[in-house]
Amino acid sequence: MNTALRLGILGGAALVLLVAAVCIGPTQLLDVPRLLELMQSGPVTPELQRAQLVLWELRLPRVLLAAAAGVNLAVGGLLLQAIFRNPLAEPYLLGLSSGGALGAVLALSAGATAVTWPALTGSLLIAGIVLLLCRRRIAADLPSLLLVGVALGALAQAFTTVIILRFDPGALRSILFWLMGSFAGRGWSEVWLLGPAALLGIVIVCLLHRPLDLIALGGESAHHLGVRVGLLQTGGIALAAVLAALTVAACGTVGFVGLMAPHLARRLTAAPHGISIPATALVGAMLTVGADLAARTVLAGTELPVGAVTGVFGCLFFLALLAKRP
Amino acid sequence: MSAKCSGAVPGAETDKQPAPGTAPLQGRGIRAGYDATDVLHGIDFALHAGEVLGVVGPNGCGKSTLLRAVTGLIPLRGGEVILGGERLENLPAMERARRCAVQPQVELPLFDYTVGQFVLLGRHPHRAPLALATEEDRAAVSRALSETDLNGFRERSIRALSTGEWQRALMARTLVQETPVLLLDEPAAHLDPGHRFAVHVLLRSLARERQRAVLCVSHDLNLAAEFCDRLMMLASGRVRALGRPEEVLTAANMQAVFQCDALRVAPNPFTGRPGTVFVP
Repeated sequence: MNTALRLGILGGAALVLLVAAVCIGPTQLLDVPRLLELMQSGPVTPELQRAQLVLWELRLPRVLLAAAAGVNLAVGGLLLQAIFRNPLAEPYLLGLSSGGALGAVLALSAGATAVTWPALTGSLLIAGIVLLLCRRRIAADLPSLLLVGVALGALAQAFTTVIILRFDPGALRSILFWLMGSFAGRGWSEVWLLGPAALLGIVIVCLLHRPLDLIALGGESAHHLGVRVGLLQTGGIALAAVLAALTVAACGTVGFVGLMAPHLARRLTAAPHGISIPATALVGAMLTVGADLAARTVLAGTELPVGAVTGVFGCLFFLALLAKRP
Repeated sequence: MSAKCSGAVPGAETDKQPAPGTAPLQGRGIRAGYDATDVLHGIDFALHAGEVLGVVGPNGCGKSTLLRAVTGLIPLRGGEVILGGERLENLPAMERARRCAVQPQVELPLFDYTVGQFVLLGRHPHRAPLALATEEDRAAVSRALSETDLNGFRERSIRALSTGEWQRALMARTLVQETPVLLLDEPAAHLDPGHRFAVHVLLRSLARERQRAVLCVSHDLNLAAEFCDRLMMLASGRVRALGRPEEVLTAANMQAVFQCDALRVAPNPFTGRPGTVFVP
């Protein structure tokens, strides 16, 4: 099957999932004939008002936010995997998300309510330290740079744990829930933050699709083919850090998506980034939207943290995929 | 003449060569190294259009470092590199890649590209960021695949190739760059005798028929002597000898550089070109 067709099918599947996620929930929005009938039957009924409210103020922003977060994490993972030439690289492994979480938790403990800027600062700080070391030895020794990221991430997580233990028990539960990632209770303001970032991320990465192919295949070859390797590494890590930080600020830490989405996308379509970038964005969005749908429907009356769902399903899905490998 | 590294104008050894000012790649007094160690201590050479220049020497003498230095992969600690009439550091990265292609030593591929997709990446310096492959790009890929005996490999995964096939795919990617200067780092290291020979025939025809300037690092002294117009012998980061193969592969040079008593110089009985044999 040719890759354009595969990409089309993936796009169709993503659209179906998005619509389904908007419609499914305690207030069913699937009964379109009934809704149309209500809309045409003169005066606005409470039932229609409720449906409108659920659609515009709850479901749609929630689903769009989940999709944008999925795209951000997936694109970040794709960038880091190519730049570090390592199939395990992703925003979490590199400590970018942990840095964002630490920034946010620090701000919350100081009584702040907006965590966007603190999260950005935390992520960029970690990215900055990694980049500082990256600049000193450009193409050499990427594995140890990755390990620096891992170590910094562990440090950030340790600090985060110490800080959240100082919260009172009531706040602790909500902080933990936030840390595990959730798209509940967010609104359009978060969508307007993450959505444009996701689109901008896709555009930038698409423009860089061939340099990413080349750097993934070897730093020296990329240099000889006209890629400015140091600049691409710096810019790519910085972009992944910004995308991860915005995502953490808006919806906490949702794990596994940045790692899984690029691999799944390459398996489902093809390896060259010209094809795998749009596929990765679609798969990322589907993973988070699907995980969020599961998180709010699997257990009636309660919500699971999305991070927990992506962790469980991601792990199983991934193992199955690896087992299927020829 | 057996030119020690000296102040003499490099590349002017053989009278058939054009003036050094027109050479597409020139190095003057190149010094380079890593961290605290200097590896190259002043290398002078000129690579002319239409010639194959072989670079030979023992492990660690600076052959690969020389390739890195003349392509800007590591900074120069002294001297200068002139590529196509301009100083290397003044060339934008993409322009450099349109003038000079490098076949690196074998790197392991991370993702699952097909051979066709992989070779097409060599066209990067000629393509706009979002441009689809043109007819010209596709023709260059087909030509390079057939020149490297990879016809029929286009849809194969690069991870399913043998090391030798992978090395030929790397060469095909270098060829589609279609640059006036070609630098190759042991392009035949992993190849069987038939393909090793074919690669050298190809390199010579690139120089003769398409006027490319070809520099080839090699440990195969026999094939280098057979196919290179000139050889540059490096030892401890300096040019030990530069000239025609019979001027460079002398018993005295071989003994001094390789320090192996069993390695003897013996001309090819069929062609009369210099060669080496082991006499254990």
